[in-house]
Amino acid sequence: MVSQSELIKEARENGMDLLPLDKDTYELFFGPQHMATENFSIILKMDGHRVVKAIANPGFLHRGFEKLAELRPWYTNIALLLRICVPEPDVPEMIYSMAVEEIMGWEVPERAQWIRTVVLEMARVSAYLFWTMGMAFKLGVYTAGQWAAAYRERFMALFEELTGARVYHIYTIPGGVRRDIPGDKWLRQLKDTVEYVKSKLPDFDHLIFENYITFRRMEGIGVMDKKFALEEGVTGPNLRATGVPYDVRRADPYLLYPELDFEVPVLKEGDALSRALIRRYELEQDLYILEQLLEMGPPSGPYKIQDPRLKNLPRFKVPAGDAFAHVESTKGDFGAYVVSDGGNKPYRVQIRGPSIAHGIRVLEQLLVGARIADVPVILVSLDNCPPDIDR
Amino acid sequence: MEEIDFKVAPESKIKKKPSYIKPWLGLKYLFKKPVTIKIPYEKTQIAEKYRGFHSLDWKKCIGCNFCGQICPARAIEMTWIEVNGKAEKRPHPKIDYGRCTFCQFCVDVCPTGALGFVSNYMLTTEWREEELLLYDWVPIHPDKIKEINEKYPDYRFPVSKIEFNKETKEVTYYLRDGEVFKFRILGYGVRPPAAAKPKPAAPKTGEAKKEQG
Repeated sequence: MVSQSELIKEARENGMDLLPLDKDTYELFFGPQHMATENFSIILKMDGHRVVKAIANPGFLHRGFEKLAELRPWYTNIALLLRICVPEPDVPEMIYSMAVEEIMGWEVPERAQWIRTVVLEMARVSAYLFWTMGMAFKLGVYTAGQWAAAYRERFMALFEELTGARVYHIYTIPGGVRRDIPGDKWLRQLKDTVEYVKSKLPDFDHLIFENYITFRRMEGIGVMDKKFALEEGVTGPNLRATGVPYDVRRADPYLLYPELDFEVPVLKEGDALSRALIRRYELEQDLYILEQLLEMGPPSGPYKIQDPRLKNLPRFKVPAGDAFAHVESTKGDFGAYVVSDGGNKPYRVQIRGPSIAHGIRVLEQLLVGARIADVPVILVSLDNCPPDIDR
Repeated sequence: MEEIDFKVAPESKIKKKPSYIKPWLGLKYLFKKPVTIKIPYEKTQIAEKYRGFHSLDWKKCIGCNFCGQICPARAIEMTWIEVNGKAEKRPHPKIDYGRCTFCQFCVDVCPTGALGFVSNYMLTTEWREEELLLYDWVPIHPDKIKEINEKYPDYRFPVSKIEFNKETKEVTYYLRDGEVFKFRILGYGVRPPAAAKPKPAAPKTGEAKKEQG
C-alpha cells in the first residue's frame, strides 16, 4: 500500500499537484445538463444536505456579442443582439434601437410607439408565463407548467402574425418597427387572448401561488435584505421583493408608460416566496396594461421614421456620440450603451443584462446554508437568465 | 428614490394565503378537451407573412450585393450563373441556410424587390454530404414556389434534391413537382469571373472559383 505522502511526492515529481481531499465536505456540480440550471452551472460544496460554499460557474453561452456587434452595420445588429435574452427577445432590440435613436436625434412616430409598447408588454406577459412554467417544473407542479406553456403559445401565435416569427421576432428597428399591425382582426385576437389569459390566472393561484406546499418550500428561503440588494445592483422584481419601490417604467419613463395606469408591487420580506408573488402580481398588471393600450387604440400615422439617409441601409451612418438606454424587463433593468464613431458600424455596443447582478455574487451568497432541495428553487425565484450573464 | 410619486400596490393584494383544498381545483380540467394538435393528422395554421425561405426573381435581380452587405450572418454570396449556355449579366445571391437567421433584412433592403420570402419553413435532411447541398441554393422564382405549394401544402422546401457536379460546376435542382432545373456556376463574388468569356481551359476556371465552403 502506498501512503498518501508518497503519492503526493510522486505526483509532484511528474509535474502534477494532487490537492488534499477535504474529508468533511463533498463537492457537487450542478451542471448545464441539469434540468434546473439551464446552461449554467454552480459548484456546490456540501456538508450533509446543506451548502457550505457555492461558486457560480457561468460562461457556457458566451458568444462574444460585444465583438461581433462591432463588425456589423447598424441595422444588422438587431438580428444579432436580440439573442442576448432568450425569453423576451424584444427587450435587447428595443434598448439598442432607443440608444441609436438618441444618437440620431430621431423622434419615433406615435403609431410606432404604441406598437412598441404593446410588443414590450406582450413580451413581458409571455416571459412571465415562461417563468411560471419553469418554476412549476422545478417545484414539481407539472400541471401548472403545462398550462403556462399552452397560454404562452397564444401569445406566440400573435407574435407570429405581427412579426413573422415566433420567438426571435426581429421587429423593432431604430426609427420604428418593421411592419404595420396586420389589421383589426389582429387587435381583436389580442383582446380575446388577454381576456382569456386573465380569466385563467385564478387557476395558477389555486395550483401554485395558494398551494400550501409552495409556501412550505419557498417561505424564508434565500432571504436578501434591502442594503445587500442595493449594494449588489439587483434590479427588477428581485429588488422590489426587498422593499425598494423602483421600476424603470416609473423612475425613467419611456414610450407610452407615463400615460398608463398600473401599480408597482413591493414586498418587504425578500425571500423566494415574495419574489414569486411579485411576479404573479406583475403578470396581472401587464395584462391590465395591455387592456388599457387596446382601449386607447393605435394612433394613425407612419410606423417607421422617414429619413433620406435610410435609402442605403448597409452604408447608413450614425453621427459620432454615445447613448445609454434602459428598459424594465421581467428580469430587471436591461441597459445598452452604444458608442458611435461616425461610421457605418458601431464602435462599441455594451449590453448590461440584469442577471449579471443577481446571477453570480448574489446567488452565491443566497445559497450558503440552503438545503440541496432549495437550490433550484432559489435559482428560479431569482429568474436567472444565463445568456444575459455570458453574452 | 425615497420620494414615491407612483402607485404602489398594497401588500394585501399581492400576498396570498396558503390553502390545503384549493390545489385540488386543478382537477377540473380532467374532463375538458385538450389543446394539443395531432400534427401528422391535423394541420397548423401559420401566419401569412411567416418569414421562411427566400424566392428570387432572376430577371429583376441586378446583382447590387445590398443583400450580401446587410446580411448579419454573412450567409449571402454572389454567384455568377450560366443557364442553357447563356451567362447571366449580373450575379445572383446564393443563400446558405446553415448560417441564415431568417431575419429577412435582405428582403427589406432589395431595391428592385427581386428577393422575396415565402412562408415555407421545413427543411430536414440527414448528415450525408449530397443531402447537405440542399442548404445552399440560389432561390427560384416565387411563382414556381407558389405552384409547388398549391400541390403540396405542407410548408416544405420546394426542392427535393440538389446535385452539384464538381468538374463541370453544373447544379441540378430536382423540384418537388418533378421538374428539373439546371444551371452552371461560373464563379463567386461581386466581380465577374475571369474565365467566363473564353472558357477553354479547366485550370483557369478552377482558379476563379473559390472552394465552396
